[in-house]
Amino acid sequence: MFHTEEMDINMGPQHPSTHGVLRLRLTLDGETISDMRPIIGYLHRGVEKLCEHRTFPMIEPLTDRLDYVAAISENLGYCGAVEKAMGIVVPPRAQYIRVILAELQRIASHLLWLGTHALDLGAMSVFFYTFREREMILDLFEAFCGARLTYNSMRIGGLLEDVPAGWLDRVRHFISIFPGREKEYEDLLTVNRIFVGRTRGVGILTPQDAVALGVSGPTLRATGVDYDVRRAQPYCSYEQFQFDVPLGRNGDTYDRYLVRMEEMRQCCRIIQQALDRLPDGEVRAKVAKYIKPPAGEVYHVVESPRGEQGFYIVTSGGEMPYRMRFRSPSFVNLQALPSMCKGQLVAYVVAVIGSIDIVLGDVDR
Amino acid sequence: MATVTIAPRPVPGFKEFLKTILLAELWVGLWVTLKNQFRPHITVEYPKETVELSPRFRGVPRLRFNPESGEELCIACHLCEIVCPDDCIHIVSEKKPDGKGKRLVSFEINYERCCFCGLCVDPCPTKPLTAIYMSHDYEMADFKREGFVAPLKTLLDGIEPTIYKE
Amino acid sequence: MDRQMIQTIVIPAIQVLLVVMVLPLGIAYLQLVERKVLGFMQVRLAPRRVGWHGLLQPIADAVKLLIKEDVVPDKADRFLFTLAPIVTVIPALAGLAVIPIAGAPFTLFGYEVKPFITDLNVAVLYLLAISSLGIYGIILGGWASNSKYSLLGALRSSAQLISYEVPLGFAIIGVLMLSGSASMVDIVNSQKTARVWYILPQILGFFCYFISAVAETNRVPFDLPEAEAELVAGFHTEYSGMKFAFFFLAEYTNMIVVSSIATILFFGGWLRPFPNAAWSAWLENGWLFFVPLVALGFIGWLVDQKTGQGLKGMFAGLFLGGILGFLLARVDVAGLAALQAPVLSGAFWFFLKVSVFLFVYIWFRGTYPRYRYDQLMALGWKWLIPLSVLNVLGTGLVVVLFG
Repeated sequence: MFHTEEMDINMGPQHPSTHGVLRLRLTLDGETISDMRPIIGYLHRGVEKLCEHRTFPMIEPLTDRLDYVAAISENLGYCGAVEKAMGIVVPPRAQYIRVILAELQRIASHLLWLGTHALDLGAMSVFFYTFREREMILDLFEAFCGARLTYNSMRIGGLLEDVPAGWLDRVRHFISIFPGREKEYEDLLTVNRIFVGRTRGVGILTPQDAVALGVSGPTLRATGVDYDVRRAQPYCSYEQFQFDVPLGRNGDTYDRYLVRMEEMRQCCRIIQQALDRLPDGEVRAKVAKYIKPPAGEVYHVVESPRGEQGFYIVTSGGEMPYRMRFRSPSFVNLQALPSMCKGQLVAYVVAVIGSIDIVLGDVDR
Repeated sequence: MATVTIAPRPVPGFKEFLKTILLAELWVGLWVTLKNQFRPHITVEYPKETVELSPRFRGVPRLRFNPESGEELCIACHLCEIVCPDDCIHIVSEKKPDGKGKRLVSFEINYERCCFCGLCVDPCPTKPLTAIYMSHDYEMADFKREGFVAPLKTLLDGIEPTIYKE
Repeated sequence: MDRQMIQTIVIPAIQVLLVVMVLPLGIAYLQLVERKVLGFMQVRLAPRRVGWHGLLQPIADAVKLLIKEDVVPDKADRFLFTLAPIVTVIPALAGLAVIPIAGAPFTLFGYEVKPFITDLNVAVLYLLAISSLGIYGIILGGWASNSKYSLLGALRSSAQLISYEVPLGFAIIGVLMLSGSASMVDIVNSQKTARVWYILPQILGFFCYFISAVAETNRVPFDLPEAEAELVAGFHTEYSGMKFAFFFLAEYTNMIVVSSIATILFFGGWLRPFPNAAWSAWLENGWLFFVPLVALGFIGWLVDQKTGQGLKGMFAGLFLGGILGFLLARVDVAGLAALQAPVLSGAFWFFLKVSVFLFVYIWFRGTYPRYRYDQLMALGWKWLIPLSVLNVLGTGLVVVLFG
């Protein structure tokens, strides 16, 4: 007499809480999610193919546009890959400045994530506070390289220019006020019973699933797997810095939140060390005018704010790569979304999408 | 180099219980927003006031004269045209009448294609001032596509600014 | 028309007209205040373009809503779609009929004018009943617009409102037991005799009432029907123009009504702090002192916000307002003595208390995340209802034993 049927609901691509043009097909059994399929490709620009028709220096602006929230991490990874292929040793000062930039970028990216995540959960003011602090970082980037979002901040072999006068003091000022501001976000969210209630135990990812799906970054570390590229395969002199790798315990949305909050504190620690020990000297190694890596292939990974960002370049000895491939963490982390959401209520989805911190420019490339 | 495991578990006890009953963390949250009311605002009323740009700010690329002699700096070497990842620079040059070097016939930048990466400035050979530079102009809205193809004159004088009416 | 008729029909009619005409304007400005306060909490500037510090913004918004195209979705039920906003807004406005802003009647042009439209002896019941009617509008609106989001929003909203009406009603019962009356005027007067606002003996009841009231008005952290991250805009997703404005009007009127009820039931309505205590009698006329104090403090806070010196501005305003108020209150300027009427004093205290409540509403909106639907229900049924029942039992026990 009665029968129930599953209902398909389309979420996105134009939806305020899918953070871009992600489309989700939810199969609902009542309010419970029985299946979920992320449908991607709405932001595909064919960057990998474009790279095959660009010389190596011309590719760097393209990497800005992959993960546009953390462009400096992409610049760092790409330049690192080409330098690895050519065997260039970057001067120590340039390496330290790159570390400062990358860690500032990590804070900026986490701040953007925190603001939008909190906004999804209804906490409006946190968004403005995090953007206030992010704006300070963007001002620093603007002073350093002239752009606020797509930086093109590095060059193969080091940096284009040394930091402008007074810049390091501004960084110092920022990391001196930032912990106090982070305390404010924590006051608004970490202990707030509504926030905890909405995130704790929601969207649990088991360590086994996480490893099997290739998840990386804070999303992986929240499950308790101790893997951070900065420590597992140090690049850009990260082995010279003391920092903790925060790990979660339950792999739920709340743990992912806590891990990122702790990471921001560790970023400040790294920046402080880099500022204290910043060596003098050149910022750019001697590089040939025409960059032609020897034929072969190279893979270089960096820890971007979202996870393991890989650059795979096949070179044929010419000015352009033969094949370029990006391992983008957002794309891989997105695979874990269905396993986090299956069997849960549809109201959880918003919190879970926010917590894995995807950037659709990075997913689709 | 240590690994910290985050264990978000409040210690159960009378103090925690009291905090829960008295809604302690909710009061703290209210205090934060109240406090922030007296912080300086971060937004600006844009057309009326603009933010201060840093010296290295990369706005639209433009050409410049030698500030002392008033001559063209560009020697029509085509390097910026070659290095541009978006093919937005288009240069036409001719041999100088005296046979030494080249001079510009036309120099166009298509701002629709430009991605403001600043790569064109790096290889510019004129010293100490580069002929092409990233200006501080960023207001370049237009109604027509042709308006974005900047000829030599626009590149030297800058985009005609649009005056916003009050 | 004889005198009796004017007294019983014309004056209340004028009062009703006044409420219906003035209230929308007041609400438009309440909305400006909300945007301002939220803006300042979020370290941004809030509306500033239209008029001085955005003071004409509400007018601009109202004009915009009036001249906007009134879209009705293709397959919507036109009649119900039009009916829903009206059904929502009328009960909200009707609630104001029993709200007294001061106690004693005053004389105007020889006629006795009461500072309320009517004093029902079952005012509290009337309010509970009339506020339940508003749910019809929400359900009708959600259903008639023939949209998934609207329907889901309406279902959530009605479930939420119905659940929270129970603790709301229970929370009020404690006050009714203490005062022994359900008339608003009598409740306030009984607080005067008791020499204490009922917030003190009824702190638990107030707690339950306030949380339920926030939920009843669909405000943060209980604004699920309008959770834009999930449901676009809830039951009024498909509404635009004047119909949308009606929903808007209803929401803010409801806010004012529940704040007024809280003021009357728990904070002594138009009474001064420490009512009936002799040493606080100066507060009765001292409102002349407080009006410039509060007003100038607020203006100072507003003006200096731009430079980030809001605190300084506020203190400067408070200081100037204090001096001005002292002069007003102490120096007997001709005519000011007439202003020291109880009705003005009462209205001042009443509106001050209501504004504090409204500020708290906005403050909540600036601070808290939103509950999830199941958590909202759990909070209502598992916590607020038992707590409010407990409050009723406790109050009853105390009244029987010591009353």
